[in-house]
Amino acid sequence: MSNEYVVEMKNITKSFPGVKALDDVSFHLKSGQVMALLGENGAGKSTLMKILSGIYSRDAGTIRVFGNDIKGNITPKIAQELGVAIIHQELNMCSHLTVAENIFLGKEIHSKGLLKDREMLKRAHSVLDRLKIDIQPTSVVGDLAVGQQQMVEIAKALESNAKVLIMDEPTSALTSKEIEELFRIIREIKADGCGIVYISHRLEELQHIVDAVTIMRDGRYINEGVFKELTLKQIISDMVGREIKEQFPRVDTVRGNKIFSVRNLNAGRMVRDVSFEAYEGEILGIAGLMGSGRTETTRAVFGVDPKESGEIYLQGEKIEIHCPMDAIRHGLVLAPEDRKKDGLCTKLSVRENIALANLDELCEKGGIVNRKKEREIVNTAISNLKIKLPSAEVNAASLSGGNQQKVVVAKWLARNSKVVIFDEPTRGIDVAAKVEIYNIMNTLKQNGIAVIFVSSEMPEVLGIADRIVVMCDGRVTGSLKAKETTQEEILSYATMFEKKID
Amino acid sequence: MESPFKRFLAIRGMGQVITVTTGLIILSVVFGFMNPMFFSSRNVSNLLRQIAPILLIGIGQSYVLLIGQIDLSIGSVVGMSCMISATLMTRGVPPIVAVLITIACALTVGVVNGLLVAWCKLPSFIGTLGTMTIARGIAQIANNNFNTDSIGDGAEGFRNFFYYGRTAGLYNTIWIALVLWLIFNFVLTRTRTGRHIYAIGSNIEAARLSGVSVISTTVKAYLVSAFVCCVVGLITTATSGMGAMDAGSSYELYAVAASVIGGISTLGGQGLLFGTVIGASIWGVLQNGLQFAGAPIAIRNIVIGVIVVVSVLLDVIVRSNKGKGFKMFKRQS
Repeated sequence: MSNEYVVEMKNITKSFPGVKALDDVSFHLKSGQVMALLGENGAGKSTLMKILSGIYSRDAGTIRVFGNDIKGNITPKIAQELGVAIIHQELNMCSHLTVAENIFLGKEIHSKGLLKDREMLKRAHSVLDRLKIDIQPTSVVGDLAVGQQQMVEIAKALESNAKVLIMDEPTSALTSKEIEELFRIIREIKADGCGIVYISHRLEELQHIVDAVTIMRDGRYINEGVFKELTLKQIISDMVGREIKEQFPRVDTVRGNKIFSVRNLNAGRMVRDVSFEAYEGEILGIAGLMGSGRTETTRAVFGVDPKESGEIYLQGEKIEIHCPMDAIRHGLVLAPEDRKKDGLCTKLSVRENIALANLDELCEKGGIVNRKKEREIVNTAISNLKIKLPSAEVNAASLSGGNQQKVVVAKWLARNSKVVIFDEPTRGIDVAAKVEIYNIMNTLKQNGIAVIFVSSEMPEVLGIADRIVVMCDGRVTGSLKAKETTQEEILSYATMFEKKID
Repeated sequence: MESPFKRFLAIRGMGQVITVTTGLIILSVVFGFMNPMFFSSRNVSNLLRQIAPILLIGIGQSYVLLIGQIDLSIGSVVGMSCMISATLMTRGVPPIVAVLITIACALTVGVVNGLLVAWCKLPSFIGTLGTMTIARGIAQIANNNFNTDSIGDGAEGFRNFFYYGRTAGLYNTIWIALVLWLIFNFVLTRTRTGRHIYAIGSNIEAARLSGVSVISTTVKAYLVSAFVCCVVGLITTATSGMGAMDAGSSYELYAVAASVIGGISTLGGQGLLFGTVIGASIWGVLQNGLQFAGAPIAIRNIVIGVIVVVSVLLDVIVRSNKGKGFKMFKRQS
C-alpha cells in the first residue's frame, strides 16, 4: 500500500481578486513520504496547501484523498475528518490554555457538554509519549518555547488521527537543537505511514528529511521528482525560472577608515563585554547560533534596550546612545530582524512607512509634512532599491517578504547614514530576493558606508561579509577574515560555550 | 500527585485573585476599624445586597471580556428591562408574564450583539455602542418617555422575590446572584462552551481552525451578558417599585471595573469568574465603607477610579516582569 497516493490534486485553479494564485497545479503525496513543496514567495505553495486543508476553496480541479474523490468544497472540519492537518507558519495556539486543552480544542471529550478533563489529560499524555516529547499536558502553552509549541501542534494533529501533515516553514523559528528534535519526530510519524508536506525556504535542510520535491513558480506546477536525483542547482533554477549565477555576489572594495567601534558593551545576560569595530566600505558579519546574543547586541547598540556599561565611538568620537533617536541622529540605523513586528507599520502605506523614519527632515515648521519632498524621497527609494509594487500607496503588509524587507531598508537609506545594521535581513525571503538584498548591502559598501550584517545562515555570512565576528552565549568568541575561514571554523567559535563545570 | 491546594494555586489567574482578595480583606478591616458598625449584621447583609447587582453585571461583562470583546449595552439593557417589566406590570400584566417578556426582550439584544460582533464582524466597541443607544431608546419609549407609576400591590410577590424577601436569613437578591454565579462559573470552567470562550479570547484564529464555532460561542457570551442584565433590571424594578428610564446608566463600565479588578484580561482569554466576585465586592465595600466614613460621592468616585487603575497597573507590572524572560527567549529563537 505504501506506493498508493494519499493525496492527489489535479488541475487546481484558484483566483483571488486581481491575481491568479494557482493555475492548473497538480500535486501528489504518498504515505510514508516527506514531500518538499518548494517555490519562491508568492509561488502559490501556501495557497495550494490551504486549499487542501480547507482554509480556501478551489475554483476548479479535482482532489482525491485516500482514493476518494472529494466533491464540493473542503471546510476545516471536513479536512479534519479526512485526516489532513496543517501546522501553520505562525503557530496557531491558544497561548492561555494548557497543552491538553489545546490538543483537544474543538474536539473536546465531553458528555452532554460537560468536559472530561481527566480523560483528555490521559490521552494528551499518551500522544506526547508516543512522540517521545517531554512536555507536561498541564503546562500552559504560552510558557513553552516556540519549538515546544510546534511539537504540541504536531501532537494535536496526530491526536485527531491526521494522516497527512502539512508543515509550513516549520523550522523558521527553531534553534538547531529544536530542528533536530523536529526531524526526529517527522521521521517517527513518517514511519507510522503519515504523508508529510514540507514547505521551506531553507534548501540546505532538505537533505536531512525530504524524500521528494514538488516545485512551483508563479502559481504553476513546474517539476516534481525524487530528491536524491536532483541537484540543488537544478532545484534553484526551477524555482527561480532562471539560473542564479551567483548566490552570493561579492564586490571587492578598498577598506577605508575605522568609523565605528563598540567597546566592552554589557547589556544583560545576552550581551557581555562585547567589542567590535566597523570600517568604511566593509561588510562586517556577525555570526553565531540562535540565542548567541547577536540581536540583543544590535538592540543595545541602537539604544532600544538599556546598556549597563560600554562605550561607542563614531569616527573617533565617543557618542552616547540612550534611545534610538540618539542613534539615528548620529547616522546609525538598524533594520530589525522581525519585519512585521519591529520593522514596519503593516497597516500603513509604503509611502508612510518610508517617510516615518525621515519625518524630521520632511517636516517644515509647525510639523507640517512637505508632501512634495516626501514623494521625492519615497520615489527615489523605491527606484533605487527596485521595490516591486503597484503604487507607493499600497499597504506595506500586502507586499511579499522580500519587498517588505526592501521597504524596511528603504526607510533608512533615504537618510545619509554612516553605519547600517541589518539584522537577519534575508530571513524568510526567497533566493532571488536574497540576492537583491545582498546587492543593496554591496552598494552601501561601495559608497563607503559601514555595513553590519547579522545572520544565522553561515553560507551567506561567509559569502557576503568581509570580516566576521562570531558570538556565543552573549560574548564575542572570534573575529575572522571571511576569505580565510571556513564554516567549520566559524561553528567551532560559535559553540565555544563557557565551561559550566570546572 | 500535587496536593489539591497546590493545584488550586496553580490555576492560571489565581495570583491576581489572591492579591485582590488580600486587598479586599485589608479594606474591610480598615473600614471596620473606622466604624465598628461596618461589621454589624445589618450592614453586612445590606452590603451584600449592594454587591449582588454589580456581581451579576460583572459576570456578564466577564463572559464578553473573556472572548476578547466588550459589551457596552449592559447599562441600557438594565434600564430597558427595568422599564419594560415595570410598564407591563403597571398595565396589569401578571408579574410572571412580565418577567418572561422582559427576559425575551433582553435576550434579543444579546443575540443582536453577538451577531453584530461575530457574524457582521463589527468591532464590539461599535456594535454594542449601537445597541446601547437603541436599548436606552427602548427604555424611554416603553412608557412614552416617562418613568412609570408604582407597579402596585399586585406585584408584592415580585418585589419580595427580587429584593425585599429573605431566604435562610439572607436577602433573596444575594441568593439570586450566588446561584447565577455558581451556574455561570460551572459553565465557564467545566463545559465545552466555557472552554471555547477562553480559546476564542486567547486566539480566535486558532479556535476557528480547530473547529470551534466562533459565531455561536460569541452569541452565547452576549446572551449570558444580556440575561444577567435583565435580572439586574428586574431587581431594580423590585427595589424602587417603579420603572426608571435612566436605570443602570454607566453600569457597563462598573461591570468592566469589577471584572478587571478581579483579574479578567480586557484582551480576552484570561481570568477567573471568581475574581469577578472579589472585584464586585471591592466595589461594594468601597462604596459602602466610604459612605459610612462620611465621604462625599465625589471622593468615592475618585477613590474607586484610582483603585481600578492601580489594580490593573499592578497586574501589568507583574506580567511584564514575567514577560521579559519570555520576550528575550523569543528573540533568541
